[in-house]
Amino acid sequence: MQTAIAGIGATEFSKASGRSELKLAVEAVRAALDDAGLRPADVDGLVTFSMDSNAEIAVARELGAGELTFFSLIGYGGGAACATVQQAAMAVATGAASVVVCYRALNERSGRRFGQVAVGAALGSTSSALDNAWHYPMGLATPAATVAMAARRYMHVYGATSADFGTVAVADRKHAAANPAAWFYQRPITLAEHQESRWICEPLRLLDCCQETDGAVAVVVTSLERARFVKPAPVLIRAAAQGSGPGQYTMTSYYRDDLTGLPEMGVVARQLWAQAGIGPADIRTAVLYDHFTPYVLMQLEELGFCPRGEAKDFIAGGTIELGGTLPLNPHGGQLGEGYLHGMNGIAEAVRQVRGTSVNQVPGDGPVLVTAGTGVPTSGLILGPD
Amino acid sequence: MTSDEAILAAAEKVKAAGPSAPRLARDPVNMAAIRNWTDAIGDTSRLYTDAEFAARSVHGQLVAPPAMVQVWTMPGLIAQRGNDDHAADAGGDPLGQMMRVLDEAEFTSVVATNCGQTYDRYLRHGELLSLRSELTDVSGPKRTALGEGWFVTTRNVWYSGDEPVAEMDWRVLKYRPGRPAPAPAPPTPAMAMRPAISADTEFFWAGMKVSELRIQRCGECGALRHPPGPACLRCGATRNQGYQVAAGTGSVYSYVVHRHPPVPGKNLPIVIALVELDEGVRVMAELTGIEPDKVCIGMPVRTSFIRIDDDLVLPGWRPAEHGTPGMLSEQTLPELTIQVTPTFVVSTAIATRDFYPVHHDRDFAVATGSKDIFLNILTTTGLVQRYVTDWAGPDAIVRGVSIRLGVPCYAGDALTFSGSVTAADSAEQVIAVTGSCSLGNHVTGTVLLGNTVRLAGVP
Repeated sequence: MQTAIAGIGATEFSKASGRSELKLAVEAVRAALDDAGLRPADVDGLVTFSMDSNAEIAVARELGAGELTFFSLIGYGGGAACATVQQAAMAVATGAASVVVCYRALNERSGRRFGQVAVGAALGSTSSALDNAWHYPMGLATPAATVAMAARRYMHVYGATSADFGTVAVADRKHAAANPAAWFYQRPITLAEHQESRWICEPLRLLDCCQETDGAVAVVVTSLERARFVKPAPVLIRAAAQGSGPGQYTMTSYYRDDLTGLPEMGVVARQLWAQAGIGPADIRTAVLYDHFTPYVLMQLEELGFCPRGEAKDFIAGGTIELGGTLPLNPHGGQLGEGYLHGMNGIAEAVRQVRGTSVNQVPGDGPVLVTAGTGVPTSGLILGPD
Repeated sequence: MTSDEAILAAAEKVKAAGPSAPRLARDPVNMAAIRNWTDAIGDTSRLYTDAEFAARSVHGQLVAPPAMVQVWTMPGLIAQRGNDDHAADAGGDPLGQMMRVLDEAEFTSVVATNCGQTYDRYLRHGELLSLRSELTDVSGPKRTALGEGWFVTTRNVWYSGDEPVAEMDWRVLKYRPGRPAPAPAPPTPAMAMRPAISADTEFFWAGMKVSELRIQRCGECGALRHPPGPACLRCGATRNQGYQVAAGTGSVYSYVVHRHPPVPGKNLPIVIALVELDEGVRVMAELTGIEPDKVCIGMPVRTSFIRIDDDLVLPGWRPAEHGTPGMLSEQTLPELTIQVTPTFVVSTAIATRDFYPVHHDRDFAVATGSKDIFLNILTTTGLVQRYVTDWAGPDAIVRGVSIRLGVPCYAGDALTFSGSVTAADSAEQVIAVTGSCSLGNHVTGTVLLGNTVRLAGVP
């Protein structure tokens, strides 16, 4: 059975939502259902991140949904984003549910800020705490720091520079500047501004790091057949995959042979290309997870857009900006639009397929979306019916 | 209220005017002022006050403590800043002018934050100094722990006659008190992040307590692994998992310099290095004893053990000895603790000719938002110099002192200095110094020592 995204919804993206995360979740889910022309009573499945504060049953209750036949949580932070859609698609395809809503709601600026040190992360008896015990007490205790460690090695091996990372930030902010929903609407940056921004954790600068955002995004998944009966044209899920690599840790896979790639994204990439029967050259635009700029370069390599170590050359000269050969993150990404743990990237991919993005990339080719990097991750390829 | 743009425009104007006209010290370098200073600071070196000793020293005569240089041109109790009121282009004091601009913009409080002095040579008794000062940077508005404010930096050059004898980059924060961001609490063992420990990993942490870096070793096939876990990653055995003690040598595979946000239990910045041990496994830990900008991938390191308390010892790295020039030997200075009594605060303030009331008038200090009177930056600079020269002896030549102030050191507190040699070659040594009090780090900085004297009067 083919599956499709029938609706997307979101709250505003802010620094202080002024309301509970549960309320944000319900608002985004309602907006997505409205977009799909469906009612809460139609929902029989819900999927979110294991990091989300809002249990499926709480969202269902507040939504006024009835019975649920499928509910699921995906782990590993932002790596869950595209996997929520994969889970929903699998549930629909197997008949476990008929309308599944994926959601993520977070007060990530006014509430718990992921960029600060989670002091209890290495406490307890879980395998995660034991993994963190090799990094947190030593002082490597923020997402930026964990990425910086890999980025430094990548720079050393391939000769990439801070300015190469800045190229990603400049493209994101350029796109966000033309997107009224983006926090950095009308606020582009120059490469010089990137280079002048302060160090957070060398070699990462402030402008290499994504925003902190309050908000919520929801995506409605149903069968392609059913989606054809709803308002907007359905967006076909052409491929959906999760991936974890050998020797995998969450953000700290430092004990593999190599530190310059994202093998878990390679696992995702191989599945996506095989499922969709296409290759990198067929992709019209891609939303690559951009919590930190260096991993955008590594993703381009893992996904096969360019050979290893050559992303710095690939992205030079406007390739990844609107009008380039592979525009990335037309909504502005998580550096420019907002940090919604990757779910806003899925919403943008849907708009690109529908032809309704404010920064529409011409054509009707497929759109690629990836989820959080440095962690077990996931990806999607979306296209028109 | 003056806008940000107006402040920056005023700054540009003052900057464009260049160095001020020379401002003469009131008195020449003299024994009475030096004695007051050495008494108050507790500097017992005989170079400064014992003519016979000084005559036999590398200097051949009496000299002034290098960190006193700023004292000679301090305005004093009855301000001698006669030319402050002149416009910058008429040679007035650029810092004073910038302070007035910021006062008008309601950034009314001031605190010194950084002082970097270099000494071209030691000063002889009897020399009369003059000071020329130039505005070099104004940046802001910035949110700081004290409130919103502007950092103002000046470049100051002291002359003896026409000869430049010392330079200083001086930065103050001119701020609007109130709505302070919460200051990060100083690191304490209680704040250190502690590791989760399981039956599979306990041997590692037990090893730390006895200064052993233990690497899991499979008793079945001999494979090593780190981080440890229940199974051998090569042969899959879950039984017979033991360990071997690493030789403790390796090289940096990758590293970061963490600057933001605060990390509980750590003073930032810190260098965290992923090290490939000579045994072939990687281990991550903090790298100390080196300036962050000197770290590079491939540099040799060896294991250290960072004791947090009786329950926790963390692995660490130090630059390997006999490493590349510029990397560091292991030498640590003995600690020095100073009881910061009210008398100490007041006497050092007066001996450095700093009559700002927050350093001697408790009521004034409290009324302006402080807990008590506190040490002035000239004293802190002097104490850093004294701490290093106490250890280095009278033959060491202090070429520079560069410090950054952290938390205030209030009367009633104790200030403990620690230091280590962070870079050394045949001609120069860099000593990193930290002075901490109950609130955290009061001062961090470096002292540059040379071993060749530059004779007074011979540039």
